[in-house]
Amino acid sequence: MVAAKSTLNTILPKALIWIFLILVCIYCLIPFAWMLSTSLKTEAEAFRIPPTWIPLEPTVDSYIGIWVRKNFGIYFLNSTIISLATAILSTFFGALAGYGFSRFLFRGRKFLIGFFLATQMLPGVLLVGPYFKILSRFGLYDTRTGLIIAFLTICLPFSTWMMKGFIDKVPEELDQSAMVDGCSRIGLFFKIVLPIVAPGMVATILFAFLLAWGDLLWALCLTSRENMITVTLGIARTVGEFRIIWPMLMAGSLVGGMPAILLYIFLQRLLVQGLTAGAVKE
Amino acid sequence: MRINDRYMWTVFVLPAFFLLILVLGWPAITSILYSFQPTQAGATGYTLASYKSLLKDPFFKTTFWNTVVFVSFSVGSHMILGLAVAMVLNSALPAKPMFRVIALLPWVVPDVVAGIIWKWMYNPIYGALNDLLIKVGILENPVEWLSNPKLAMISAILVNLWRGFPFVMLILLAGLQAIPRHLYEAAAIDGASKLTQFIYVTLPGLRKMIVVALALDIVWEVRRFGLIQAMTQGGPGILTEVLSTYTYKQYFQFFRFEYASAISVVMTVVLLMVSLPYIWMISQEE
Repeated sequence: MVAAKSTLNTILPKALIWIFLILVCIYCLIPFAWMLSTSLKTEAEAFRIPPTWIPLEPTVDSYIGIWVRKNFGIYFLNSTIISLATAILSTFFGALAGYGFSRFLFRGRKFLIGFFLATQMLPGVLLVGPYFKILSRFGLYDTRTGLIIAFLTICLPFSTWMMKGFIDKVPEELDQSAMVDGCSRIGLFFKIVLPIVAPGMVATILFAFLLAWGDLLWALCLTSRENMITVTLGIARTVGEFRIIWPMLMAGSLVGGMPAILLYIFLQRLLVQGLTAGAVKE
Repeated sequence: MRINDRYMWTVFVLPAFFLLILVLGWPAITSILYSFQPTQAGATGYTLASYKSLLKDPFFKTTFWNTVVFVSFSVGSHMILGLAVAMVLNSALPAKPMFRVIALLPWVVPDVVAGIIWKWMYNPIYGALNDLLIKVGILENPVEWLSNPKLAMISAILVNLWRGFPFVMLILLAGLQAIPRHLYEAAAIDGASKLTQFIYVTLPGLRKMIVVALALDIVWEVRRFGLIQAMTQGGPGILTEVLSTYTYKQYFQFFRFEYASAISVVMTVVLLMVSLPYIWMISQEE
């Protein structure tokens, strides 16, 4: 009797934990399953009542259609160019600033750190209006360059934290001995520190890339021509159309979300540190 | 030219600083100035007119409270579910990395994609959710998740719970893993129950992570735009309209730049106040 009770005491919480975990997994995964399932259906089947979970006549037409009948090729190219340029620029300047914050104690350092942090808290809608006017004045409205400049506001502070975190791990003695050997600060930064943190730099570039990739607000406010818009805006516009072709929209969403899904899974261990300015170290 | 090494920080930090001033400081100040400009053509000087009409605008009031509801329920539910999943994933469990990836998925897709998947999930006739809930026996009749005025905000929050809890989970999981195991062992030897251990060991150990998660999550949820824009565009009526979508509309549909700026300035002030403890904590630590 006593033995039975104690097994129940250990089995029951275990079982509850598993049930909870499985429910959470279902909650997380069902929307993705539904997206995948719809993307493989014909348009007629997407409007079947009751809905089917496994497509009766699976087809990849939608995956072809987004490139052929929609301009997904252009959207993808735009998103890639814009996100990559933003990521490289912000990581470069972020690495410089990260090194500065990591290695030097100076007056106003806390203030500057606070400033960089505060810039991450500003809402995008504070900036989009002036951006619209400023970019129009310089002829940069509806250009990729305009969006690259705008995305720096999101990516630069983030890249700075991330790079500072990686540079903090490089022993300062390396810098000292290089300087004893006659190397300048700038020289040792490029020749010694950057090569050591190269993997971290790649991670930072990829994260900044994803921050820019996932945006809708800026693309919506600062671009309009079909040949300038990004993947996210292209998807959002499809929703606004009179007749939504759901299989194609789901295929587009899956393809448009895929770079983010793959890269984040690949980089998840570093994610927390960059987004919390190093307050949480894994 | 040689610069004393003491001043070399300027070479490293100032380029990024000036770049931020240029791409962020300048537009931010421009926006603040807009918000004080008169709206009549030809008028000059500065005025509080936009802020005064803000106070009188019933739509702003509704939108403001919508945002408060949306953010507080989102963040509250993120914390609860995030902590629960983090604690489960912190215990001895097979296939932990797989569960971690699954639980992270909702967070990694772009906002727009999340909004669109759920718009289609919620579709009252062809959508998956009604079908599923009816099959399981929870619902008898299809529900209009996004067009029923009573449900629209709840539905939006449920999507945002799905979208946002993984990040809180990741932060708290990192925090849990940093709590030394011997603290639990010592508490267990002293006869502390699981609940007592949770209150006296787990929660104090997580205090800093909770501050970080709260601050960042509040800021992100107040700024959340793509999700609502893709899913409801603030509808039905203005029932799911939040400050970010409302400001966007004022700017780019009604072209009331001064008024939109005033709303965004109010948002900024609120966000900076909310995040101040976080900013303070980190800049003191560094």
